Amino acid sequence: MGTLIEFKNVERSYKRGDRTFYALKDVNLKIEEGKMVVILGPSGAGKSTLLNLLGGMDSPTGGEIIFRDKDIAKFSDDELTAYRAFFVGVVFQFYNLVPTLTAYENVALMKDIRKRALHSRYYKNRSELGELMDPAEALRAVGLGEHMDQFPSQMSGGEQQRTSIARALAKNPSILLCDEPTGALDTDTGRDVLRLLQDVSKTAGRTVVMVTHNSSFADIADCVIRVKNGTVVSVTENENPADASTISW
Amino acid sequence: MSFLGIYVFVGIDSESTGMTACEEQYYEECNLADLWVQGSGFSLDSLTYVKSVPGMKQAERRLQVDGKAIVRDKTSGEEEVSMQMNFVESNEISKLYLLEGEPYKAGRGGVYLDYFFSEKRGYKVGDTITLKLESTRFDVKVAGIFHNPEYVYYLEDVAAMMPDYGAYGFCFLDESEYPFEEIIYNQIIVDAEKIDNTAQVSDTEKEIQSQLAAQIKDVLDDQSIVVTGKDDQLSYQTYRSEMAQHKSMAFAFPIVFVLISLLGIITTMTRLMAKQRVQIGTMKALGFSTADVVMHYISYGFVLSLAGCVLGAVVGYYTLPDFIISMFVGSYILPYMHKGLSLMSLSMIAMMVSVSTLITFVACRKECALIPAQALRPAAPKVMKTSFVERSRVWKLLSFSTQWNLRDIIRNKMRTLMGIVGVVGCSMLLFSAFGCLDSIDHITTWMYGELNTAKNRIVLAEDIDYGTASDYAKQYGGQMIQSVAISLSPDEGVSSGISAGSASMGTSASTGSSASMGTSASTGSSASMGGGVISKTGTLTVLDRGNFMHYEDADMEHITLDKNEIAMTYKMAESLGVKEGSLVCWHVLGDDKIHKFRVGQIYRNPSVQGITMYREPYEKLNYKFVPTEILTNMTVPSSLADKDEIIGVQNTNAMMDSLKSMMEMMYTMAGILIAAAIILGVVVLYNLGVLSMVEKRREMATLKVLGYATSGVRAILAQQNTWITLIGIVLGFPAGFGILGVLFNDMPESMDYSIVVYPKTYLYTFVLTFLISWAVNRVMSREVKFIDMVEALKGQE
Repeated sequence: MGTLIEFKNVERSYKRGDRTFYALKDVNLKIEEGKMVVILGPSGAGKSTLLNLLGGMDSPTGGEIIFRDKDIAKFSDDELTAYRAFFVGVVFQFYNLVPTLTAYENVALMKDIRKRALHSRYYKNRSELGELMDPAEALRAVGLGEHMDQFPSQMSGGEQQRTSIARALAKNPSILLCDEPTGALDTDTGRDVLRLLQDVSKTAGRTVVMVTHNSSFADIADCVIRVKNGTVVSVTENENPADASTISW
Repeated sequence: MSFLGIYVFVGIDSESTGMTACEEQYYEECNLADLWVQGSGFSLDSLTYVKSVPGMKQAERRLQVDGKAIVRDKTSGEEEVSMQMNFVESNEISKLYLLEGEPYKAGRGGVYLDYFFSEKRGYKVGDTITLKLESTRFDVKVAGIFHNPEYVYYLEDVAAMMPDYGAYGFCFLDESEYPFEEIIYNQIIVDAEKIDNTAQVSDTEKEIQSQLAAQIKDVLDDQSIVVTGKDDQLSYQTYRSEMAQHKSMAFAFPIVFVLISLLGIITTMTRLMAKQRVQIGTMKALGFSTADVVMHYISYGFVLSLAGCVLGAVVGYYTLPDFIISMFVGSYILPYMHKGLSLMSLSMIAMMVSVSTLITFVACRKECALIPAQALRPAAPKVMKTSFVERSRVWKLLSFSTQWNLRDIIRNKMRTLMGIVGVVGCSMLLFSAFGCLDSIDHITTWMYGELNTAKNRIVLAEDIDYGTASDYAKQYGGQMIQSVAISLSPDEGVSSGISAGSASMGTSASTGSSASMGTSASTGSSASMGGGVISKTGTLTVLDRGNFMHYEDADMEHITLDKNEIAMTYKMAESLGVKEGSLVCWHVLGDDKIHKFRVGQIYRNPSVQGITMYREPYEKLNYKFVPTEILTNMTVPSSLADKDEIIGVQNTNAMMDSLKSMMEMMYTMAGILIAAAIILGVVVLYNLGVLSMVEKRREMATLKVLGYATSGVRAILAQQNTWITLIGIVLGFPAGFGILGVLFNDMPESMDYSIVVYPKTYLYTFVLTFLISWAVNRVMSREVKFIDMVEALKGQE
């Protein structure tokens, strides 16, 4: 196990008129492979910006983001698209399932994305790519074997979020990014989701990065990165992370 | 949307309303005749008898005859042009609309020239003009320049397809100017008490016409005279047909626009209201009552659509009608042409405004009925159900984008429907525009390439003797043809109908009797036919040896005419309600000998309706064959036209060219249609595009986060667009045919133009519609590039 992603002096600023605002400034951090990382901070601290940069949805205005020896900060739009398609799985706070597709089809979407991405000029070294998971298997893995033909509107919030996780997992991503994954769920359901994410990290050895403002989640992480006012305040390693089913908030 | 619909509606409707009003005003002002009685000679007694028929207001005699005007020409010195002369003894019916000069007064003399002729040939009041009648020249002083309600539309001869005013003329002269000894009047025009001058001849008026016709024949004791009504006059009928065409157009096109606009308003307003959900919730949370909020949004829908409609009406009224009217200036002679606002336009505006207000109300009530807490939360996603397609096995084999688009279409039926309707409208208009050009083009090639293959046509004077004509025919290797004006009626009309008199008049219309045609019809129906109005005037074409004339049957298949039979044109057979094998009676105008024959064949001719037979059977009926024209393929010197016995030489190429130049008007028309199609296509598709972009923004952002390239997302959007476009185009073809049908349906009886659509029209329509749709989609989906992926991570607004 080594470093999957490294931020070196990363900065993300926005210009508004003559003034420059820094959403992130001078950020240095490492995400270790196979770890469960929680990025913690209050609203406006810059954690979403951090997640966007990790997921290749945004590019920094300064610094380097090294992913497997490549600086994705210098990637073009198309390269970033390929990066997202091959390596990044995203779980959204509001699930963002395609409402016109069933659970199964939402997960099967990944096949289509992979197929399209393979046509692109980027990442010719296909050996790095993980095998796609069978959509049905992915859904069974999140406990939704019985709900494959249901539309998002027919499922509960927890079920939708699990579908969203299955969708992210089916891609067999190098990194699973979760943006407040329990934000729209009640405590019990949220706990189920957290357990699922912890499972993914522990048993499959997948890197999971979760962004949250809920400090209770710090206990279950292998590594906690606290951000405030656009800078990393602390990075704490957790020797013995708690089981997700034991925490409450 | 409101603007566009009302713009087109008011524009076209105001033109046809105004022009119909002009026509009525003109007819009223000049007291257009109601009946035309034609015979070989009417004495003063005849006139008195006609006047004595109950229900007559006035009657006048006149001699209408085709002559020549000798006009000064700088290059060739002198030129003879056709001039229809009307010698009159009074002018209270079909009065001259005087533009210059003194009003007509019996006995004062002088000639009144038509405006276009005097304009083009440079005649003014007080000038002297040389006229020629049967090779006798006589000079007359120009007493006035006029328009006449009987000459709203006038052709030099029936074979011509388009007027060219000024190239030939028509005039009115006092009977004292008649150059020969005794004047023999061949017409009595009648002003009937119970027939008014409004543009449309009503059914009651038709009955009165037919009663009067029968009575006139009775009092004159001559069944061979022909009595025709306004509907049988080329001028009246052509303008009426044109107006009817405009009315249909004024209705058909704008209705398409208005319907699409309504669809657009419905989709936009419902979606807009759904978007306003949180806003409504906020307003209610702040303390506004439901009624306040409803009023707020209703006034929004009301004001916007009212503004659009009023603006559309104003702009439409001031731009479109004048433009359309300007295109008809060369075709019709009216003293005034103006537009007019109809009640229909106002009701259309009212309808448009109320519908969009109503839609706003319905949409807004749904959202406003929610309690603030509900409204502030995003709407629950639509409940999805699997449709039949989705349960089939094929579904699993479809690609993601196909599934996505199919679902999207199934779930958003209204939006899809509107998209399809928009494309249908667009391709329909394009199809009809191109189809119109095809049909006109086809008529020229049909007439001068298929039916008449002669290169030149020598038109002979009426008084030519057979020997001279025959010499010309030999000299030019030509085919001699005689055209005779005749009157036709289904068999029972003339033979048995008259005795029944007016007793059972009006019991059945012309169509009623056509069903029993050919069998021995009941006297009831034949009596109304005997009235004379139902009988049709037409042209008898007598063919000598030669093969310049060709014939095609109703299905446009080539046929050879039987040497011993009489063939009838398709249009004539239709208006008489007869078929192949039916018995038909005819007589030469001005001759009381009635002939009966069985229709041997039916053939089609675009501009001359009547019957055709060969010379031998014609002569067997004891008629002398006197050719009126010679068709030839040899070169004919134009100087030939200077001879007294030759009226003119027409070159078919030149005629085709002049027809083509007349078609420029059609090109303008087609241009308008194409422009309308493009505007419609762009507006509808753009509107839809905006809607679906707004609605799918979040989905598209998600897809991008998940790893779709911008081009991938655009491809998905393009796929749906392609489907809708293809369906729309395919449906647009038959709809376009429908529009062409409307346009060609209201043709005057004398014209037999059929709808012909060349394969290239399908191609053009397809390519152009597709291009429009593709371009709009490209522009719209460029937006995908700028969709911020971060949006997907944010909460729903």
